Amino acid sequence: MNGIHDMGGMQGMGPVPHETDEPVFHAEWEGRVFAINAALRAMCMWNLDTWRYQIESLAPVDYLRLTYYERWLRINEELVAKHGLLAGAAKAAPALTAAAAAQRLGRGVPSSDDPAVKPVFAVGEHVRARNINPIGHTRLPRYARGKVGVIARDHGVYAFPDTNAHLEGEHRQHVYSVRFAVRELWGDEATAKDSVYIDMWDDYLERA
Amino acid sequence: MIDPRGVLQEFGTSVGDDVEVRVWDSTAELRYIVLPERPVGTENLTEEDLAAMVTRNAMVGVSKL
Repeated sequence: MNGIHDMGGMQGMGPVPHETDEPVFHAEWEGRVFAINAALRAMCMWNLDTWRYQIESLAPVDYLRLTYYERWLRINEELVAKHGLLAGAAKAAPALTAAAAAQRLGRGVPSSDDPAVKPVFAVGEHVRARNINPIGHTRLPRYARGKVGVIARDHGVYAFPDTNAHLEGEHRQHVYSVRFAVRELWGDEATAKDSVYIDMWDDYLERA
Repeated sequence: MIDPRGVLQEFGTSVGDDVEVRVWDSTAELRYIVLPERPVGTENLTEEDLAAMVTRNAMVGVSKL
Protein backbone atom coordinates (compact mmCIF):
# COMPACT_ATOMS: atom_id res chain seq x y z
CA MET A 1 0.00 0.00 0.00
CA ASN A 2 1.25 3.47 -0.86
CA GLY A 3 0.64 4.58 2.73
CA ILE A 4 1.97 7.13 5.19
CA HIS A 5 4.28 4.48 6.71
CA ASP A 6 6.44 4.44 3.55
CA MET A 7 8.39 7.54 4.51
CA GLY A 8 11.75 6.89 2.85
CA GLY A 9 12.86 10.09 1.12
CA MET A 10 10.20 12.30 2.70
CA GLN A 11 11.34 15.67 3.96
CA GLY A 12 10.16 18.28 6.45
CA MET A 13 9.42 15.82 9.26
CA GLY A 14 11.66 17.75 11.67
CA PRO A 15 14.78 16.63 13.50
CA VAL A 16 15.12 13.13 14.97
CA PRO A 17 14.51 13.58 18.72
CA HIS A 18 17.04 11.98 21.01
CA GLU A 19 17.18 11.90 24.78
CA THR A 20 19.89 11.00 27.23
CA ASP A 21 19.39 7.83 29.30
CA GLU A 22 16.48 6.80 27.11
CA PRO A 23 14.40 4.17 28.96
CA VAL A 24 13.18 0.97 27.27
CA PHE A 25 9.59 2.00 28.05
CA HIS A 26 8.50 5.55 28.83
CA ALA A 27 5.53 4.37 30.89
CA GLU A 28 4.44 1.11 32.49
CA TRP A 29 1.53 0.70 30.08
CA GLU A 30 3.96 0.54 27.15
CA GLY A 31 5.54 -2.58 28.62
CA ARG A 32 2.09 -4.10 29.10
CA VAL A 33 1.22 -3.42 25.45
CA PHE A 34 4.49 -5.07 24.42
CA ALA A 35 3.56 -8.15 26.50
CA ILE A 36 -0.04 -8.25 25.22
CA ASN A 37 1.30 -8.10 21.69
CA ALA A 38 3.66 -11.02 22.32
CA ALA A 39 0.89 -13.09 23.90
CA LEU A 40 -1.47 -12.47 20.98
CA ARG A 41 1.21 -13.28 18.40
CA ALA A 42 1.89 -16.55 20.23
CA MET A 43 -1.65 -17.65 19.34
CA CYS A 44 -0.54 -17.83 15.69
CA MET A 45 -3.78 -16.41 14.29
CA TRP A 46 -1.83 -13.88 12.26
CA ASN A 47 1.82 -13.39 11.35
CA LEU A 48 4.31 -10.53 11.50
CA ASP A 49 3.47 -9.40 7.96
CA THR A 50 -0.28 -9.37 8.72
CA TRP A 51 0.54 -7.30 11.78
CA ARG A 52 2.63 -4.82 9.79
CA TYR A 53 -0.14 -4.42 7.20
CA GLN A 54 -2.58 -3.60 9.99
CA ILE A 55 -0.30 -0.77 11.13
CA GLU A 56 0.04 0.48 7.55
CA SER A 57 -3.74 0.49 7.25
CA LEU A 58 -4.19 3.03 10.06
CA ALA A 59 -5.71 6.28 8.82
CA PRO A 60 -2.75 8.55 7.97
CA VAL A 61 -3.77 11.17 10.52
CA ASP A 62 -3.90 8.50 13.26
CA TYR A 63 -0.61 6.98 12.16
CA LEU A 64 1.09 10.36 12.57
CA ARG A 65 -0.67 11.34 15.79
CA LEU A 66 -0.33 8.08 17.76
CA THR A 67 2.88 7.22 19.60
CA TYR A 68 4.74 4.01 18.78
CA TYR A 69 3.06 1.81 21.43
CA GLU A 70 -0.30 3.53 20.98
CA ARG A 71 -0.19 2.18 17.42
CA TRP A 72 0.61 -1.30 18.76
CA LEU A 73 -2.35 -1.14 21.14
CA ARG A 74 -4.75 0.14 18.47
CA ILE A 75 -3.90 -2.48 15.87
CA ASN A 76 -3.97 -5.33 18.38
CA GLU A 77 -7.49 -4.21 19.33
CA GLU A 78 -8.37 -4.23 15.63
CA LEU A 79 -6.82 -7.65 15.00
CA VAL A 80 -8.56 -9.16 18.03
CA ALA A 81 -11.91 -7.90 16.73
CA LYS A 82 -11.20 -8.86 13.11
CA HIS A 83 -10.23 -12.44 13.97
CA GLY A 84 -13.22 -12.95 16.24
CA LEU A 85 -11.21 -13.50 19.41
CA LEU A 86 -13.74 -11.56 21.49
CA ALA A 87 -16.44 -13.86 20.17
CA GLY A 88 -14.49 -16.91 21.32
CA ALA A 89 -12.82 -17.77 18.03
CA ALA A 90 -9.46 -18.52 19.65
CA LYS A 91 -7.84 -21.73 18.60
CA ALA A 92 -6.97 -24.06 21.44
CA ALA A 93 -3.54 -22.43 21.72
CA PRO A 94 -2.05 -22.63 25.20
CA ALA A 95 -1.58 -19.25 26.83
CA LEU A 96 1.90 -17.78 26.62
CA THR A 97 3.65 -18.26 29.96
CA ALA A 98 6.32 -15.98 31.37
CA ALA A 99 8.81 -18.84 31.15
CA ALA A 100 8.10 -19.42 27.45
CA ALA A 101 8.05 -15.70 26.65
CA ALA A 102 11.82 -15.16 26.91
CA GLN A 103 12.53 -17.92 24.43
CA ARG A 104 9.84 -16.72 22.08
CA LEU A 105 10.99 -13.10 22.15
CA GLY A 106 14.59 -14.12 21.60
CA ARG A 107 13.70 -16.02 18.46
CA GLY A 108 14.22 -14.38 15.07
CA VAL A 109 12.31 -14.85 11.86
CA PRO A 110 13.23 -18.14 10.20
CA SER A 111 15.39 -17.99 7.09
CA SER A 112 16.99 -20.89 5.27
CA ASP A 113 19.50 -21.78 2.62
CA ASP A 114 17.05 -24.30 1.14
CA PRO A 115 18.80 -25.48 -2.06
CA ALA A 116 15.41 -26.32 -3.60
CA VAL A 117 14.65 -22.59 -3.83
CA LYS A 118 16.88 -21.28 -6.60
CA PRO A 119 18.04 -17.66 -6.65
CA VAL A 120 16.87 -15.74 -9.72
CA PHE A 121 19.77 -13.28 -9.54
CA ALA A 122 23.49 -13.49 -8.79
CA VAL A 123 25.81 -11.19 -6.86
CA GLY A 124 27.09 -8.44 -9.18
CA GLU A 125 24.08 -8.55 -11.49
CA HIS A 126 22.30 -5.29 -12.41
CA VAL A 127 18.63 -5.29 -11.47
CA ARG A 128 15.72 -2.88 -11.63
CA ALA A 129 13.21 -2.64 -8.78
CA ARG A 130 9.80 -3.31 -10.31
CA ASN A 131 7.28 -0.50 -10.47
CA ILE A 132 4.47 -2.15 -8.55
CA ASN A 133 1.81 -0.41 -6.47
CA PRO A 134 -0.14 -3.14 -4.66
CA ILE A 135 -3.00 -2.10 -2.39
CA GLY A 136 -1.92 -4.95 -0.12
CA HIS A 137 1.25 -5.29 1.94
CA THR A 138 4.63 -4.78 0.32
CA ARG A 139 8.11 -4.03 1.60
CA LEU A 140 9.34 -2.53 -1.65
CA PRO A 141 9.81 1.14 -0.78
CA ARG A 142 8.29 3.66 -3.17
CA TYR A 143 11.52 5.60 -3.49
CA ALA A 144 13.26 2.57 -5.02
CA ARG A 145 10.65 1.57 -7.62
CA GLY A 146 11.94 1.71 -11.17
CA LYS A 147 15.51 2.32 -9.99
CA VAL A 148 18.53 0.29 -11.06
CA GLY A 149 20.93 -1.25 -8.56
CA VAL A 150 23.40 -4.09 -8.18
CA ILE A 151 22.99 -7.31 -6.18
CA ALA A 152 25.51 -6.97 -3.35
CA ARG A 153 24.72 -10.07 -1.28
CA ASP A 154 22.37 -13.04 -1.21
CA HIS A 155 20.79 -13.30 2.25
CA GLY A 156 19.11 -16.68 1.72
CA VAL A 157 15.48 -17.71 1.55
CA TYR A 158 12.59 -15.96 3.32
CA ALA A 159 8.81 -15.89 3.21
CA PHE A 160 7.44 -13.32 0.75
CA PRO A 161 5.65 -10.62 2.79
CA ASP A 162 3.30 -9.52 -0.01
CA THR A 163 1.48 -12.87 0.09
CA ASN A 164 2.28 -13.95 3.65
CA ALA A 165 0.61 -10.83 5.09
CA HIS A 166 -2.69 -11.87 3.53
CA LEU A 167 -2.35 -15.54 4.51
CA GLU A 168 -1.93 -16.45 0.83
CA GLY A 169 1.14 -18.61 1.37
CA GLU A 170 4.79 -17.98 2.17
CA HIS A 171 6.11 -18.22 -1.43
CA ARG A 172 9.62 -18.49 0.00
CA GLN A 173 12.29 -16.93 -2.20
CA HIS A 174 15.73 -15.34 -2.07
CA VAL A 175 16.31 -11.96 -0.43
CA TYR A 176 19.23 -9.84 -1.55
CA SER A 177 20.97 -6.73 -0.34
CA VAL A 178 20.77 -4.47 -3.40
CA ARG A 179 23.08 -1.47 -3.69
CA PHE A 180 21.69 1.72 -5.23
CA ALA A 181 23.87 4.76 -5.90
CA VAL A 182 22.29 7.77 -4.20
CA ARG A 183 22.35 9.64 -7.53
CA GLU A 184 20.13 6.94 -9.02
CA LEU A 185 17.65 7.46 -6.15
CA TRP A 186 17.83 11.19 -5.50
CA GLY A 187 19.28 12.75 -8.64
CA ASP A 188 22.45 14.46 -9.76
CA GLU A 189 22.66 16.84 -6.80
CA ALA A 190 23.33 13.89 -4.46
CA THR A 191 26.93 13.01 -3.63
CA ALA A 192 28.78 10.83 -6.10
CA LYS A 193 30.09 8.13 -3.78
CA ASP A 194 27.28 7.38 -1.31
CA SER A 195 24.84 4.51 -1.64
CA VAL A 196 21.74 2.91 -0.12
CA TYR A 197 21.47 -0.84 0.45
CA ILE A 198 17.92 -2.19 0.40
CA ASP A 199 16.87 -5.76 1.22
CA MET A 200 14.72 -7.08 -1.64
CA TRP A 201 12.92 -10.30 -2.49
CA ASP A 202 13.21 -11.93 -5.93
CA ASP A 203 9.68 -10.87 -6.89
CA TYR A 204 10.59 -7.18 -6.42
CA LEU A 205 13.28 -7.33 -9.10
CA GLU A 206 13.75 -7.66 -12.85
CA ARG A 207 16.90 -7.76 -14.99
CA ALA A 208 18.32 -4.38 -16.01
CA MET B 1 16.99 8.24 4.03
CA ILE B 2 17.58 11.10 1.63
CA ASP B 3 19.98 13.07 3.86
CA PRO B 4 22.07 10.78 6.08
CA ARG B 5 24.86 13.34 6.44
CA GLY B 6 22.33 15.92 7.67
CA VAL B 7 20.89 13.50 10.25
CA LEU B 8 24.38 12.67 11.54
CA GLN B 9 25.04 16.42 11.83
CA GLU B 10 21.97 16.68 14.13
CA PHE B 11 23.86 14.33 16.46
CA GLY B 12 26.95 16.49 16.19
CA THR B 13 28.76 14.14 13.83
CA SER B 14 30.36 15.75 10.81
CA VAL B 15 31.20 13.34 7.99
CA GLY B 16 33.85 14.56 5.56
CA ASP B 17 33.52 14.44 1.77
CA ASP B 18 36.33 11.87 1.71
CA VAL B 19 34.12 9.39 3.60
CA GLU B 20 31.68 7.14 1.75
CA VAL B 21 28.28 6.89 3.45
CA ARG B 22 26.30 3.67 3.07
CA VAL B 23 22.69 3.70 4.28
CA TRP B 24 21.10 0.34 5.10
CA ASP B 25 17.32 0.27 4.72
CA SER B 26 16.23 -2.73 6.76
CA THR B 27 13.22 -3.72 4.65
CA ALA B 28 13.44 -7.48 5.30
CA GLU B 29 14.02 -9.53 8.46
CA LEU B 30 17.75 -8.83 8.49
CA ARG B 31 18.99 -6.60 11.29
CA TYR B 32 22.34 -4.88 11.42
CA ILE B 33 24.68 -4.06 14.29
CA VAL B 34 27.15 -1.21 14.46
CA LEU B 35 30.80 -1.87 15.19
CA PRO B 36 32.21 1.52 16.24
CA GLU B 37 35.46 2.58 14.59
CA ARG B 38 38.38 2.01 16.97
CA PRO B 39 39.59 5.32 18.44
CA VAL B 40 43.23 6.19 17.83
CA GLY B 41 45.61 5.05 20.58
CA THR B 42 43.42 2.32 22.05
CA GLU B 43 45.28 -0.65 20.61
CA ASN B 44 46.57 -1.74 24.02
CA LEU B 45 43.32 -1.32 25.96
CA THR B 46 41.54 -4.33 27.40
CA GLU B 47 38.01 -5.34 26.48
CA GLU B 48 36.85 -3.85 29.80
CA ASP B 49 38.53 -0.52 29.10
CA LEU B 50 36.97 -0.40 25.64
CA ALA B 51 33.53 -1.29 27.03
CA ALA B 52 33.83 1.60 29.49
CA MET B 53 34.54 4.02 26.62
CA VAL B 54 31.72 3.05 24.32
CA THR B 55 28.52 5.10 24.28
CA ARG B 56 24.91 4.52 23.31
CA ASN B 57 25.22 6.83 20.31
CA ALA B 58 28.37 5.08 19.09
CA MET B 59 26.52 1.76 19.22
CA VAL B 60 23.62 3.07 17.12
CA GLY B 61 26.03 4.58 14.63
CA VAL B 62 25.40 8.30 15.07
CA SER B 63 28.59 9.27 16.93
CA LYS B 64 32.26 8.47 16.71
CA LEU B 65 34.27 7.69 19.82
